[in-house]
Amino acid sequence: MATEALHGGGGIADHIHPEPQGFIRKYVFSIDHKIIGIQYMITAGIFLILGGMLAELIRVQLMKANGGFMTPDTYNEVYSIHGSTMVWLVIIPMLTGGFGNFVFPLQIGARDVAFPWLNMLSFWIFPVAGLMVYASFLMGAPSAGWTEYPPMSLQGQAGTSMWAAAIFLVGVSSTLTGINFLVTILKMRAPGMTFTRMPLFVWGQFATAPLLMIATTALGAALAALFMQREFGVAFFDPTKGGSPLLWQHLFWFYSHPAVYIMILPAFGILSEVIPTFARKPIFGYKMIAFSSCAIAILGFMVWAHHMFTSGMAPALQLPFMVLTMTIAVPTGVKIFSWMTTLFGGVLRFTTAMLFSVGFVALFTLGGITGVWLAAVPFDLHAHGTYFIVAHFHYVLVGGSLMGIFAGLFFWFPKMTGRYLNETWGKVSFWLFFIGMNGTFLPMHVNGLGGQPRRTATYDPQFQGLNQIESIASFIMTAAILIIIINIIVSIRNGKRSGHNPWNARTLEWQIASPPPYYNFKHIPTVFHAPYDFSEPLPYRGLEHELEGTVYENESLQPAGVH
Amino acid sequence: MQQHKDPPVRLGSDFWIVTAVIVVLAILSIVYWAYAPIDSWMHEAVDRAAQIDLLFRFLAGTGFALAFAVLGYILYFSLKYRRRPDQDDEAIGLQIHDNHKLELWWTVIPTIFVIVLGFISVKLFLEIEPVNAAGGTHVVEALGHQWYYTFRYPGIHGEVKEMHLQVDQPVTLHVTAYDVIHSFWVPDMRLKADMVPGLVNTLVFTPKRTGRYNLVCTEFCGTFHGEMRSGTKQDAAYVYIDTPEQYQAWYSAQQRANANVSDAVAVASAGAVNLTGGDAAAGKTLFTQKCSACHAIGPFDQKIVGPGLKGVLHDPAHPSLVNGDKATPDAVAKILQNGFNGPMGTMPNQTANQLTDKDIANLVAFLDSLK
Repeated sequence: MATEALHGGGGIADHIHPEPQGFIRKYVFSIDHKIIGIQYMITAGIFLILGGMLAELIRVQLMKANGGFMTPDTYNEVYSIHGSTMVWLVIIPMLTGGFGNFVFPLQIGARDVAFPWLNMLSFWIFPVAGLMVYASFLMGAPSAGWTEYPPMSLQGQAGTSMWAAAIFLVGVSSTLTGINFLVTILKMRAPGMTFTRMPLFVWGQFATAPLLMIATTALGAALAALFMQREFGVAFFDPTKGGSPLLWQHLFWFYSHPAVYIMILPAFGILSEVIPTFARKPIFGYKMIAFSSCAIAILGFMVWAHHMFTSGMAPALQLPFMVLTMTIAVPTGVKIFSWMTTLFGGVLRFTTAMLFSVGFVALFTLGGITGVWLAAVPFDLHAHGTYFIVAHFHYVLVGGSLMGIFAGLFFWFPKMTGRYLNETWGKVSFWLFFIGMNGTFLPMHVNGLGGQPRRTATYDPQFQGLNQIESIASFIMTAAILIIIINIIVSIRNGKRSGHNPWNARTLEWQIASPPPYYNFKHIPTVFHAPYDFSEPLPYRGLEHELEGTVYENESLQPAGVH
Repeated sequence: MQQHKDPPVRLGSDFWIVTAVIVVLAILSIVYWAYAPIDSWMHEAVDRAAQIDLLFRFLAGTGFALAFAVLGYILYFSLKYRRRPDQDDEAIGLQIHDNHKLELWWTVIPTIFVIVLGFISVKLFLEIEPVNAAGGTHVVEALGHQWYYTFRYPGIHGEVKEMHLQVDQPVTLHVTAYDVIHSFWVPDMRLKADMVPGLVNTLVFTPKRTGRYNLVCTEFCGTFHGEMRSGTKQDAAYVYIDTPEQYQAWYSAQQRANANVSDAVAVASAGAVNLTGGDAAAGKTLFTQKCSACHAIGPFDQKIVGPGLKGVLHDPAHPSLVNGDKATPDAVAKILQNGFNGPMGTMPNQTANQLTDKDIANLVAFLDSLK
């Protein structure tokens, strides 16, 4: 194959393959991390729409205490697939495969990830697995929630086995992505980019990658065992044949608690880019934010059994899990206080990305506080399995992860396409989302503590009033997401042109053209500082030629001295 | 990494005003939750409820205080430091990188908070955990079924469908399940234990307030999980806390009513069930108790969970049962005995349904009588 050597810095061998031509090689089976990132985002975006529609079916059913919109069996399938979709097919792939793939190789000055072909494989497993999850509806979808506790899941319909196989595949995809990202961050940073000069989004991915690699294997083991039990009668979980239902819970949560951090650490990273950029200030406490991500990732492995305080564990086991879970509040608090203090003394530009980020800090704080409450076993004895839990994790995953995804979308969309998303409609969608989100999930705290259990198609009529408020507010939230989708579709062709660095940001990806060229950097730059000193010149050398040949239709966006 | 010294930070009077407001709100929230009338919102029916509510008062007071602080400062900074119209694109904020003293404080204070909370929680946990708590004199067993509860009492044969406790008499409650995981939760008691097949979980508490309380399942257990709570047609029980006189009256009545009930757990018999002498009238009663939650006495298509069973042995349109066997009394008995897992869900087996061989014979006789 013909190769063309270009000048590179720092002794990195620069063998550049020519950009593949033809639609299939360029956009379908691409090995370019940017295309793969966008493929992940589009696929996860489609699953977000599907999962959101399932969420609305749930809210329509719960408008009335006696339901009646769906049969209980259908309702159980709907909420199970809603949860599975949002966790495995939306938030995890969006934050790791999507934003991770597109952004962090650019931020470390790399031309691609370490294993581009593996990256393509990771992606193509994901839509196949997603289709399998939805195909399970055809043969009777799983109905025991996204957690699929046996023995309930042993009674589940045929689709439960299909679901197990599909989630197993998602796990394989995650593991491959984790390996790929970890090696890339360790081995492919530009010269001079020491660990303490890495952008915080890269730190987020760096803390997440080992979780993807290690935790996901436990999920794979659990799913394989469930599949074998269901299809071949191997009695891992059936107590009548000597199996243990709790075995599944331990294996499942050994993955699914770290998975909570897989879903939030990259979003923390997005925030740590957006907030300093629009505050025009260095991020407050860079090192503490970076190290607290690692502390959270390590602690995240030691707390899984806090999901099982009512399941029946030895008290001697419950105590360390309770105390370690509370400990996570310390590094998480450090992050929240650091973002809060970054706002202090800034020149704050409330773009849509900034609104979503500040909203994230506020709502995630509330979800974090209720998380500490739930860590206390005696309180959890009351709240476990109720709508209080549903409220808590939606504050973290919708108020946190999903708002982080929207912040990242509005922030990096100009880098991906060279065009802005419409800011006016963006702000409208933020406020609708913020109001709808709180209206949907705030009342659930009250209902949960008052006695409403989760995962029910019908409920005690005393909870109907607040449930109707929740349903109506959820329609507002859906309207906000519809506006964002329309915004994307319109802006991709007709959005205002943004130039290469519309937000005046300082990380490496903003110093090259938008969208970035194939292979990203003509010369690998050399890095001299962390990127957040707004009073200083950019801490990079070797970027002089990056914008050459970039022609913008709008003259005012043409970088000075580049024609 | 950073070459320059951070600029000095001066905090204006408005910062201290905001801080004062936040401190006042925080104190108010702690005081409010210390005295909030939780008992009037939700009864504290047992001693544990009051103990757990005390922990909740601490959590809610400090939690609201922290929320006021974070949300308050975010709102204040967002308003105060938003970009003014006279500031251009190049305007930058205070170039502060960190402040070790501040960072030390907001690491140390939460750490102290976590230690205090940990101490309180561990102490309460050790008080209420069954292995440490003084065992109750009154031992009750609760059993989860799809989708109702039954209870066993010393001195009462068989299982009863309501739970009665005596006020001020300490209880040791053992819970487990027949089929899948259920949960025993009485919100007014603030106590919950999962009912796991093959595992016995225990709660120890003392009832403190007489009355009737809702019992709710919080662990997903199948089609009618949402109906597995007091007061629905699934017939899930209430929990009653009685005066000693009421309790004795109830206990004696149950003893008498169940005097002839066998304590033996119905176990699937090895061979085929002998169907001779089945009593259709007894089968009809049994059907309304055990089967009608899932099966209608109507045509095959009248599905609740399983198919309608009218004419199951005499319907020319459906010569076969759902498992493919020809519709004969013996084939129906086989399903009743072993259960069946099919596209409509799971039909529990003889053990899970608590049916004796005689019960099966009666049920088959009843189904045979439907034409």
